Amino acid sequence: MDSKAVKDAVFQQVVAESNLANARVLIEKIQENCFEKCITKPGGSISSGEQSCATSCMEKYMNAWNHVNSAYITRARQEGAGTQ
Amino acid sequence: MSLSQSPLDGLNLEALNDQDKAEIRQFLNKQQQRSQIQAQTHQLTQVCWTKCVPGAVKSGKLDKTEETCLANCVNRFMDLNLLTVKHLQNMRSN
Repeated sequence: MDSKAVKDAVFQQVVAESNLANARVLIEKIQENCFEKCITKPGGSISSGEQSCATSCMEKYMNAWNHVNSAYITRARQEGAGTQ
Repeated sequence: MSLSQSPLDGLNLEALNDQDKAEIRQFLNKQQQRSQIQAQTHQLTQVCWTKCVPGAVKSGKLDKTEETCLANCVNRFMDLNLLTVKHLQNMRSN
């Protein structure tokens, strides 16, 4: 393997592991928050109402994540510009 | 994941020339920054979700009120962050 091939493999592996770690945290957070919201009284089996709540909740949490992410990046940029 | 099982194990890192080494360093710094932003986003989303989406979830989409609340929540959280640091600095100098 030449230098470029090794470098590319390192890049690929780091990105893959970082994405996986991020997805794991997101799944954990969605699980926690949507369980709290949608399974208010755990019954003998999951109801269709609970299921549709969970589906909406997952989608909504991801939308919230993206929204928060861009608001945070915007703010961090402003602060970076202000202190330099 | 244990390091001994990393797929990078089979790589001959000795093959890297200086320029590629420098590129890897730069890349890792960027990735680290990206990870930090993601971690902070996870924390902020948790805090702001509780504040801004308090009731039952009716739709997967965010409505305008929720969107505004989330953006405000992020900005006020950062304000408080600055304020806390400032306050602690004042306490130390007094």
